[in-house]
Amino acid sequence: MTSTFQLSEEGAAFVKRELNRYEDRHSAIIPALYRVQKENNGWVSPESVTYLSHLMDLPESEIEEVLRFYTMFNTKPVGRHHVQVCCNISCAMNGGRELADRLCQEFDVHDGEISGDGRFTISRVECLGACDKAPMMQVNDTFCEGLTEEKAIEILREMK
Amino acid sequence: MPKCTINGKSIEVKPGTTIIQAFKEAGEEIAHYCWHPALSVAGVCRLCMVQIEGQPKLQIACNTVVADNMVITNKSEPVKDAVRWGMDFHLINHPLDCPICDQAGECGLQEQYMRYGQYDPEMAEPKQKKHKVIDLGPTVVLDSERCILCSRCVRFTEEVTKTNELGIFNRGDRSEIGTFHNKPLNNNYSYNTIDICPVGALTSKDFRFRQRVWYLKEARSICTGCSTGCNVNVYFNEEGTWRVKPVQNDKVNGYWMCDKGRDVYKFTNLPVRLTSGKTGSKDNWNLLEAGALAKDVGATIRAAARSGADKIALVITGQYSNEDYDALFQFFSVGLGVQNIYHWINNPEDMNGFDGLLFRGDRNPNTKGLVARLEKYGVKTKWLDLEDKIKAHDLTHIVIAGPENHSVFPDLETKLRLFDQVPNVVWLSAGKSVAVDGLTAVTTQIPMKTFIEKDGTYTNYAGLEQKVKRGTTIVAGALTLEEAVHLMSGEELDMNMRPLPPKYLKTNFLVHKGGPL
Amino acid sequence: MEVKLLTEHYDKPEFKALVGYKKLGGYDTLKKAFGMKPKEIIEIVKASGLRGRGGAGFPTGMKWSFLPENNEPRYLLCNADEGEPGTFKDRMMMERAPHQLIEGMVISAYAVQSKKSYIYIRGEYTESYRTVEKAIREAYDGGFLGKNILGSGFDHDMDVYSGAGAYICGEETGMISSLEGLKGQPKLKPPFPAVKGYLRKPTIVNNVETLAAVKYIIRDGAQAYRKNGTEKSAGTKLFSVSGNVVRPGNYEIPLGYPLKDLIFNLCGGLKHGRKLKAVIPGGSSAPVLTADEAMRATMDYECLAQMGSMLGSGAVIVIDDSNCMVDLMKVILHFYHHESCGQCTPCREGTGWLDKIVTSIVTGHGRLQDVQLLEKVAKNMMGRTICALSDAAAMPAISFVTKFRDEFEFFVREGRSKVKKEGYNYAQMHH
Repeated sequence: MTSTFQLSEEGAAFVKRELNRYEDRHSAIIPALYRVQKENNGWVSPESVTYLSHLMDLPESEIEEVLRFYTMFNTKPVGRHHVQVCCNISCAMNGGRELADRLCQEFDVHDGEISGDGRFTISRVECLGACDKAPMMQVNDTFCEGLTEEKAIEILREMK
Repeated sequence: MPKCTINGKSIEVKPGTTIIQAFKEAGEEIAHYCWHPALSVAGVCRLCMVQIEGQPKLQIACNTVVADNMVITNKSEPVKDAVRWGMDFHLINHPLDCPICDQAGECGLQEQYMRYGQYDPEMAEPKQKKHKVIDLGPTVVLDSERCILCSRCVRFTEEVTKTNELGIFNRGDRSEIGTFHNKPLNNNYSYNTIDICPVGALTSKDFRFRQRVWYLKEARSICTGCSTGCNVNVYFNEEGTWRVKPVQNDKVNGYWMCDKGRDVYKFTNLPVRLTSGKTGSKDNWNLLEAGALAKDVGATIRAAARSGADKIALVITGQYSNEDYDALFQFFSVGLGVQNIYHWINNPEDMNGFDGLLFRGDRNPNTKGLVARLEKYGVKTKWLDLEDKIKAHDLTHIVIAGPENHSVFPDLETKLRLFDQVPNVVWLSAGKSVAVDGLTAVTTQIPMKTFIEKDGTYTNYAGLEQKVKRGTTIVAGALTLEEAVHLMSGEELDMNMRPLPPKYLKTNFLVHKGGPL
Repeated sequence: MEVKLLTEHYDKPEFKALVGYKKLGGYDTLKKAFGMKPKEIIEIVKASGLRGRGGAGFPTGMKWSFLPENNEPRYLLCNADEGEPGTFKDRMMMERAPHQLIEGMVISAYAVQSKKSYIYIRGEYTESYRTVEKAIREAYDGGFLGKNILGSGFDHDMDVYSGAGAYICGEETGMISSLEGLKGQPKLKPPFPAVKGYLRKPTIVNNVETLAAVKYIIRDGAQAYRKNGTEKSAGTKLFSVSGNVVRPGNYEIPLGYPLKDLIFNLCGGLKHGRKLKAVIPGGSSAPVLTADEAMRATMDYECLAQMGSMLGSGAVIVIDDSNCMVDLMKVILHFYHHESCGQCTPCREGTGWLDKIVTSIVTGHGRLQDVQLLEKVAKNMMGRTICALSDAAAMPAISFVTKFRDEFEFFVREGRSKVKKEGYNYAQMHH
């Protein structure tokens, strides 16, 4: 596989630093994948795993195992804004699932897929630890808590 | 030494022995999939449950060390129930496609189900869908739905070959074994993953859909693919041999063998074999029974030797057994006084190569045995001497104990062109060869038996002598080198190929056509 | 009544930064600790009766004393992979009082003589990560981390590590695997982490709240800490209350506090004047309590254990009578199905199977035998795996079916929920 992906100079330097930051170099895999995801429009492509394998001198299979184990890494493209609606118990009791469905309807997108305009991926996710402010969603890095359907739609409408 | 009781049997074990090892030592059956004696303990199949007296919870035998006076059983109802449920958890998403699965007949799931299962499935919902018929490279095909995620194959590529091609991707019941985006699993030990796969998830491209295992017989032998001499089972039926699998021998190969060695059965089968004696030269061959031919050519050589043994050369490859060599030296060196004896080294550049695991550059099973005999009989010749003698037309006859496995002799054609410059060529080999059929010298071809067709002893690279027994006969009309030499020397052989006093028998059993030799 | 020991200053924004933290007495206890012998601290923690606040409730001092007496490097890991559904206390602790955690950790590290610690924070908690990372930098600058801390001769380095989305990393050996750069799969025990943990070296893993509590135990002494709580459940604990209550949130109360008072006094009772139906007292893996049981329960390890449930992480999920228990169980089982790491067969296959059965029921395709099958499958998943996730899925399944069997049987019989919710399509909820 020819590697077509490359991190920025800073990104590569970051990964090199992470390799020496922890007691064991394998610990740099998670931070490196985060970095790739950040520089690759929110997802980690197979090419970027091959790239990391060379950069970090670790087998592709080990990086891929980590990549596919953790839910925060996306292995396919996502919208510009990744909207994750909590549907676990406390949120479910407070309308989290209805919220997820409503958002999908409103922005015309299926659960886990990218909206036609490329703005959103909306996914149902498990507990995010904000149960006292149910229902809630995470938009990219930000927690939006104590939502109503209207409030959530308003927040997303603001996002370009 | 801790003492323990396993299903009522008292045994003493070495300190640090795990319960599962103690079960094996006591000869007691214990169900398990993920545990393998040569791999790290994963403890994930949860089948090797045992009950230990005084402990409320069942324990897994693979990760529990035997303590002194432990009383252990896997015959109690709680254990049986746990194993039955363990089986059910393994089977709910398994496709149960035994009729089309190559593992059928040697499948861990079938085995344990017959022992612990035999119930009706309770799951009504559709099974988990996973990838099927995944091409993992030159040797292995993966069916993820059959996989029980025991992780043996993954641990093998991590711990034994350290090549890390395999991984388990995703999690929960979506987990799948695989390589990174189906990159090939192409290390030289990949077939071992198929051997250790307890189910039909990994199957061999070389073997799948060719035979049902219950129609095959197996014979213990050694791999003749290199000088390591891995212990193997060769699987065969009346049509020939079909596959080779490693057999545990801690002194030689542990539990493994290399992929190159898996090919050794291929040169034993009819399509590539020299099946009859031949005499003549290019485009003009007479077929003759091997035994009769050996006698005829023996007489010629004996006559030639009488008028000058220095006109005869003997070329030997490292492909024969010690018994073969002994007979050969006895006849040529002692009997005829031939001194032009040469060791044909097929791959001098990598003769000392070693991959760090099992595979050696010396692609002959018995170089060591040959070299010992060359020394014993004081042979100090160099290959270049032979070339000089041939170029100087000093030789009238050349006898070649040629390769059994032609595929490891890349120099076969070059060497044959050299031999062809001698007026009379005697070619002993198991394999048929277009190049030999193209020789212009007066040539005698005598078909040889392969390693699986004869008894014998091979000395491996480390000097370990390993005896093999005949497993099957594929070319009934072929001889062992030992037999051929006896016949060439004018001796007769009995049905068991032992030499007889010359006057004892007039009939040569080797030309008798009834049944295999 | 709330007893604000750990959370005393949580309302003050300045508590978050080093300057404000120090003004409010921060790092004074660390100075005090350096005046003691490490073994003394362990003895005090043992005497305090502190039990792990992450979920298992194992006595902290005892855990520490399992470390072998050798010169191997040893690690202290803070488990901040708060993932048990319903739990959100560690997040608050990290975001409001990162130095409290750091101080508790340095004291603990000194007690167990560890020169290196990591705080493993779940990936989704990006704000917690940023706050803790900043606080660690401040602590280094202030001389509370690094070489020769406060002239004590004790060196300690601390770093923070972000997870990436896996509930199983909250299991201590799963967390260790994850920190080692692997999939977060729990490791076989034995060996236990105290003997062979992170990178096969002796390792102590403690929860955020546990480590923060150590600071107060050393500050006030074991006896003072024991003034709160019961004999076997000493001290205060943070409870994350969510669900159908008027004032959900984190509450620090003495252990042994009546659940009834927590719900009806501190949290203001149920929303919309609805009736209490059930309570999950310790995060989604704790067996559910019926309303009756909840009214009798006190929030301590022994009472909840006696009721067949557990205190767990202290996540109290309050369920009112508008909820369908089949529906909620489907949510819970989907979660464990999603989070099973997949290595042990009974858990990998069992969590999926349970989820499939309850999905059949909740979408109207249940069979009569399915209710019983749920129990059977769940029972056979228990105690058969490397870690407790399998049990965590099985326990709620068994308790939901046992205590609300009529709702399950009704759903199977009628193909619809016994609890009618206006405009609510159960099948659609679980697409």
